[in-house]
Amino acid sequence: MSASSGATDRGAATLVETHSLAKQYGESVLAVQDLNLTIHRGEVFGLLGPNGAGKTTTLRLLAGLIRPTAGTAVVAGGPPGSPVSLAHIGAMIETPAFWPYLSGRDNLRLLARYSRVPQQRIDGIVEQVGMAEFANRKFGTYSTGMKQRLGVAAALLKDPPLLILDEPTNGLDPQGMVEFRNLIKGLGQGTRTVILSSHLLNEVEQICSRIGVIRRGRLVAEGTIEEIRGGSQLIVRAEPLDLARRLIEQAVGADHVTVHDGTFSLTVDNSQSASIAKALVVGGANLTELRPAERSLEDVFMELTGTESGS
Amino acid sequence: MIFASIRAEWFKVSRRPSMWITIGLLLAVSVSLEYVLVYIVATHPPKGVNLRLGGTLSSLRLDLYPAALVPKVLANMSGLYGIFALIAGVLVQGSEFGWGTVKTVYVQFPGRIAIAVGQLVTIALLVLIMALGLFAVDAATASVLATIDGQHITWPAALDVIKGVAAAWLILYLMAMAGYGLATVFRQSALAIGLGLGYVLVIENLVFGLLVNLGDTFQHIREWFPVANAQYLQQAFGVLRAAAAGGEGPAAPPVDGTHALTVLCLWLAAIVIASVAVVKLRDVN
Repeated sequence: MSASSGATDRGAATLVETHSLAKQYGESVLAVQDLNLTIHRGEVFGLLGPNGAGKTTTLRLLAGLIRPTAGTAVVAGGPPGSPVSLAHIGAMIETPAFWPYLSGRDNLRLLARYSRVPQQRIDGIVEQVGMAEFANRKFGTYSTGMKQRLGVAAALLKDPPLLILDEPTNGLDPQGMVEFRNLIKGLGQGTRTVILSSHLLNEVEQICSRIGVIRRGRLVAEGTIEEIRGGSQLIVRAEPLDLARRLIEQAVGADHVTVHDGTFSLTVDNSQSASIAKALVVGGANLTELRPAERSLEDVFMELTGTESGS
Repeated sequence: MIFASIRAEWFKVSRRPSMWITIGLLLAVSVSLEYVLVYIVATHPPKGVNLRLGGTLSSLRLDLYPAALVPKVLANMSGLYGIFALIAGVLVQGSEFGWGTVKTVYVQFPGRIAIAVGQLVTIALLVLIMALGLFAVDAATASVLATIDGQHITWPAALDVIKGVAAAWLILYLMAMAGYGLATVFRQSALAIGLGLGYVLVIENLVFGLLVNLGDTFQHIREWFPVANAQYLQQAFGVLRAAAAGGEGPAAPPVDGTHALTVLCLWLAAIVIASVAVVKLRDVN
């Protein structure tokens, strides 16, 4: 796990980069503060955080819907909201909103005109997001799930290298959620980058290659899910306890060993497990358990955000 | 980029039923109130009608014939017709905030300025349809009434009609842009329409109507206000016989058409620049 980091040396491979980005409302509400975020081409990046943490504000800043009160950002080659940036992003922020007197298909035709997307592409998109059955119905009659599908279709219209999706599975039934997660996973393969916000931990775990955790407007953690979980801990049970402790401390150093209820916790890299097992067996201890300590993403999330639950 | 934005905005507006209903109502109101109702009053004057009006009844009928088409159509441009244009301008922008589609639009490729320019051009086309539609239906009605009365049909000079359409377009566009600007600033339709109507009816007509009687100072101030100059521009095309004979309104405007045209263009430029600036800079939450 790394704390929020600044620029990377990946140059052109970086699609989103922010430096000390902040958004303040009025005198006292700091919705986002000191946000240093780097997102690379081809990643599916998840923005996690409790309600009101600043996820949507961050996405609004990246899409150019709101202007930062401090800091800078480069999104898909330009400042957020600039034609250069907008030419390369597809975004769905919050509940999808469209023109109620137009059908879903006509709404897509309208958006296609803005960006000069060939009209033939619309049929493919309609099929891709599973809205063929209701594409010709007026948007005003759509259910929340239908609106969500149209929102994703609109974001995909330009076939953009960067997709920004704010809680894309909101309002979908379980089957729809599974379909959408698979769709987003597929979209994130290759060189396309997807940034999605969610408060559903399992969703982020299934879809994202890297995540950032936001708390009270600050990025408190950024990394791969394994990095965020912190996998560099081993659990060991062996007897007799005194012999086992001596052998383990010889193998990894006393500073890395703690004992609680007859169980050793070692703050070492998982790759050392073989040598630790060998030291115990050769030294004459009876090894009964050796495994990496696994903290769930929910545990880490609660620890980082200070919330009682994962929502 | 701009052309793509215009195509998209026109696609949106041209498929919107409420926009065509607004234009249809405008044309219906023009024909029914300005021609049919006036013709009925002129041909079947109600009992107890003001005697002074007696002198204008024949003038009323003359104003309904094609020769008076240009001043007749322009007579209500900054008032009743302008309100329809104001509503159309509000609809173009206010609904985007009401439906939340402003968030959908502002993340599209051309960016906010190109989208705003697309909206401005679309509104210009809409009010051109309004202006042409008014002249067309009023001309048709005038010729029918002249035929019914057995009058020889005399049309105004083509150049006068073209100038009249241009003046109508400018006045309607100014009103529509005022609606667009108010909807942009207040992010909704209802308040924008309310304030727009309030300004036109109360501030410019009622308040200034009273204040100008108090001295020249107020008259000079009024000469720089938009609705007043729209009225001066209308009057530059001639005053209707009935209004002149009935003593309603000034026989000649206090400023000439060039002054009115200049002031209207300045107001239009100011509203356009302010609206685009707000569109460009505003946070959309």
